[in-house]
Formats: sequence, C-alpha cells, structure tokens
Amino acid sequence: MRVTKNIWVLLSIIITGVGWVTADNTFFKPKPVKFTVPKGWPQPVYDFSQNPLTEEGIALGRKLFYDGRLSKDGNFSCGSCHQQFGAFNTYDHNLSHGFNNSSTTRNAPGLFNLAWQKEFMWDGGVNHLDLQPLAPITAANEMAETMEAVIAKLRSDPEYRKMFKAAFGDETINYQRFAKAMSQFVLQLVSSNSKYDKVMRGEASFILPEQLGYDIFKKKCASCHAEPLFTDFSYRNTGMPLDPYLKDYGRMKITGNANDSLKFRVPSLRNVAMTFPYGHDGRFFSLSNVFEHYRKNMVTGPGIDSLIRNRLPLSNFEIGQITAFLYTLTDSAFLKDPRFAPPGYENNGKPPADIHP
Amino acid sequence: MKPASALCFILLVLTGFCFKNAANKKLPVKKLTLIFHHQIGEEELVLGNPVKNILGETIVVQKFKYYVSNFSVTDENGKTILLPAQYYLVDEADSSTKKINLTIPDMIIGSIHFLLGVDSIKNVSGVQTGSLDPLKGMFWTWNSGYVMAKLEGTSASAATGGHLFTFDIGGFRTGNSVLKTIDFKIPKAGKTIQEINIVADINQWFKNKSEIRIAETPVCHGPGALAMKIADNYSTMFSINSIH
Repeated sequence: MRVTKNIWVLLSIIITGVGWVTADNTFFKPKPVKFTVPKGWPQPVYDFSQNPLTEEGIALGRKLFYDGRLSKDGNFSCGSCHQQFGAFNTYDHNLSHGFNNSSTTRNAPGLFNLAWQKEFMWDGGVNHLDLQPLAPITAANEMAETMEAVIAKLRSDPEYRKMFKAAFGDETINYQRFAKAMSQFVLQLVSSNSKYDKVMRGEASFILPEQLGYDIFKKKCASCHAEPLFTDFSYRNTGMPLDPYLKDYGRMKITGNANDSLKFRVPSLRNVAMTFPYGHDGRFFSLSNVFEHYRKNMVTGPGIDSLIRNRLPLSNFEIGQITAFLYTLTDSAFLKDPRFAPPGYENNGKPPADIHP
Repeated sequence: MKPASALCFILLVLTGFCFKNAANKKLPVKKLTLIFHHQIGEEELVLGNPVKNILGETIVVQKFKYYVSNFSVTDENGKTILLPAQYYLVDEADSSTKKINLTIPDMIIGSIHFLLGVDSIKNVSGVQTGSLDPLKGMFWTWNSGYVMAKLEGTSASAATGGHLFTFDIGGFRTGNSVLKTIDFKIPKAGKTIQEINIVADINQWFKNKSEIRIAETPVCHGPGALAMKIADNYSTMFSINSIH
C-alpha cells in the first residue's frame, strides 16, 4: 500500500499548490495604497476606481516623472520644470525653458492637490489628469518628443519592463499604463500641512498680522481663491493686458467663445511664497507686483471679471497683513517630502545654492 | 477500484470544477460585415494620386481617416437594439480597417445606425486603448478631445507652407459638436444580408450645404464654426453601394 500512500501525499501537495497559485492571494499583486482626504476637505474629483493606487504604480510614476528620456534630447524630465522646492513650479522663472533653447509661453504652475482638479493647464484645455503628460511631452517648445518614441524607449529598458510588470501584472507598456502610473505619482502630491492647515486643525495659532491678514483675505480674495484649496477652479479675466508677443487669449482658445477672451484659471495660493513669478505668463515677479496690479494697474473694461470691475482697493496696511497670511500657506513638509524627490535623491529637496529668492 | 483509476477519477472531478458554467442563454446572432470604399466622385481614392475635386481644385490626399462607433440596428417593427460599444478607426492607409465585422441579432434588419465620431463620454474619460489610443494620431493634446475625421494632403490651391491642406475635424461639446449620426435604411430582404458595401465620397467635404475651397480655407485645426461647417458637409458622404 506504499504506492497508494505516495499517491495521496503527491495529490495533496498538488491540490495545495494549485490552490495557492489560483486563489486570489495578494502575494503577486501590487500593494494597494489608500488615498487620504485631509480633514474638512471636499471629496476628490479624480476617479480612483479607474486607477487604483499601488506602491508599485506610484514608484513607476515617480521614476517616469524624473526621467529625461521622456524628452527628445534626454534633457527635460517633468521634474526639470516642476521642481519640488518650488512646490513643483519652475522656480524663479517666468517662462520655462524647453527643447533646443526654446521658451514656453506660460508659467509652469505648481503641482499639488491635483486629485481635486478637473481640468488642467491655464486654459483648462486638458480634461483629465491622465491626459496631461501628452501635452508637454509632444509640444515642440517643451519636451519635443513623440509619445511613440517615448513608449519605444521605455519598452527597450528592462528596468521599466520589470516595473510595469510589478505595477500592472505584465510587461505591456502602452500610453494608458504610462499615464496611469504618472497620475498615481502626482496624485500623491497633497499639500495640506501648512501653518494655515495647522491653525485650522487647532494645532497652532496665527500671530496677529497673520490673523488680520486672514480676515482681510476672507473678505477680499476668498470668493475666487476659495478655501481649503485656495481656488474655485474658475476662469476669469483679471485685467492683464494681452502680451503682444505671446498673444495668449487663454480660455477662448479652448471654447472658441469671445466671452472667454483673456480668461485664465484662478491659481491656488497654497505655497504661493514659493511659486513666484506669478500670472499665467509669469509677468509678476513678486507678490507686491500682484497687489499693485489689482489695486492700480489692472486694465478694466469689457470682459473684466465682475468681482473686480472697479479694481481691488487695498491699502498698504492690508497688503502687509495679507502677505503675512499668505506666507502661512507654505507647506515646508511638502516641499521637502522625500517621497516626492527624484529616486535616489531623497534628501535633496532644497533649492540650488545659486538661487536667492 | 485500483489506486490509479481512483486518482484519475478524483482528477477528473477536480478538472470539472475548473470550468465555469457557460450556460448563459443568448439570443441567436449573426455576422454582418461592413466594407468601406473611399471615392472622390466616381473615382476611387488613391493616396498620393492627384485628382480634381468637385470644385475643380486639384488635390493629392495623403491621409483620410475617421471614427465610426456606437452601432445599432432597428428591426422591421422599429425596435432599436444597441450593439456593444465598439470604436473603429477607418483608415484609407490600412485596408484591414476598412472592413468591420459586427455581431448583430439574427432578425430582419430594417435599418442600421452609427455615430461618425467618438461620443462625448469617451472624450472626457481619460486615456483609452485600442483604436482610441491617443497614439493613433487622432487626439488633440492641448484641447482634450478626439479628431473625429481627418482629411489631409496637398493642393496647389493651398496658400500654406508645402501647399498643405489639413482638415482635422473635432469637437464634442454642446455648441461645437461635430458628431453625426448616420442612418441607413436597408432595402427589402434584410433577413439574409451578410455584407453591406458603403461608399464614402470625399467630394461631400468640399461641396454640400457650404462650399469649402482650399484656396480660401486650407486649414481646420480645432473645434468651432469651421469644423462644424465641414462636418455638416461630410455628414452625407456615406451611401450604400451594394448589399449581399
């Protein structure tokens, strides 16, 4: 009966083995990551069910974000114009630099809290976060590459094949997976730990100028720069005259509607101390330039946003207090978070030594 | 029972459990093939070949492609059945795309309908794969949305660099939508049809409700009034050639 016994032992091993391989176990699967909504914030608009966050997906997105091979000459990664120490804007540049000494026509905005944003770019032309990378990668004055070439470069790299497999189950590399991984990384860029946030959570308190500035801000600024994201994501004409060289009409280019001429998205003011220069084309080099614009230099006339039809009266005192408040929106933990740094440069979240803000 | 046969029996039973019960009853279906033929008037379209269009302008077409999607069929009694959502990019440069195999209910078909373009939902749902992959060159990166139909080439009439004329027609939002529903009545004997030959006549792009002269309008690169005008023109470019 030794044969029978052997057969039974063998059989039980096979059944256990088959069961382990076919069962829905998590051993071979990417590890899920939970997206935490900060207390008191609205629900995100990004549909996570279509792109579940995983550790492997985020790691892949992070590598892609910092990989210069996404551009034609290998020089320009996403991270070269979206720098962490500037809240992922192009620090100290009105317009970013692109392929072959070209300049872009708009100021690279900071990247944070993208899960709450429905449309992207200053004119809202891109209607889904997953579609956003297409625009800078293929623009001749940015990364100047074709998506086909990017995908081919990734396919030829065994490291990427391994990472795509880890994140998505097999080695297929296509634009959809590329975009989803990229989104998974940038969705992690949540900035919610500024002094303002700590005050709101009862963990800190404003000093007097900050508190006075907050009160003025709520009266004069918050109808567009609405808390807690400090933007209402609308498009508005704030009286910035057309630049004759850039000829950027903003939202009108997308909608074809003359009423949208010179309208641009209301930018978030989180980390605003770090995201200078300001405005869609970076024409304001400092916060005081912006205040001067609103109280004095605005071109009012047809098409101007109704809330600032008569400009925005601000006294010197008010400007001082508002500035004190705006500085509380700087999230230094976010600016230095090692999870967002280039892979291998986890402790390098600081501006280069030659920059003097 | 010998151990070996007992083992066989157990394995058989185990194997049996592995197969899912496929007893879902479905209505009988049949295959219907649509074959697209591209012409300029009576002439067959040949990419790279000079040909006169209906307005007398000589054109050399280099690219001609368009999306067809959201097929449905209507039976004799007027009941419409939506087919599973499928998106096809018909491309003159790739003859395999000019033949579309549909699976339709096995019934007498009174008419067939489809959308010329990609419905608005798919224009706002992020990155797609297959025929809707943005890498197919039918997607705008700076103003998210599909190019529904594309006709590009050269013409001496075009006052542009390289004498290029480029009609990239898109727009899905209310107010600038170029989406067109195409309906075909199927003549009698609809029960037995297996193949429909459809002609797309490029001349319709240039002359229909409005006249589009390349000399005046060589370029359409975004949603808006011009795109809608051209789409109105091409909305009648399809006709049934033969049914088998």
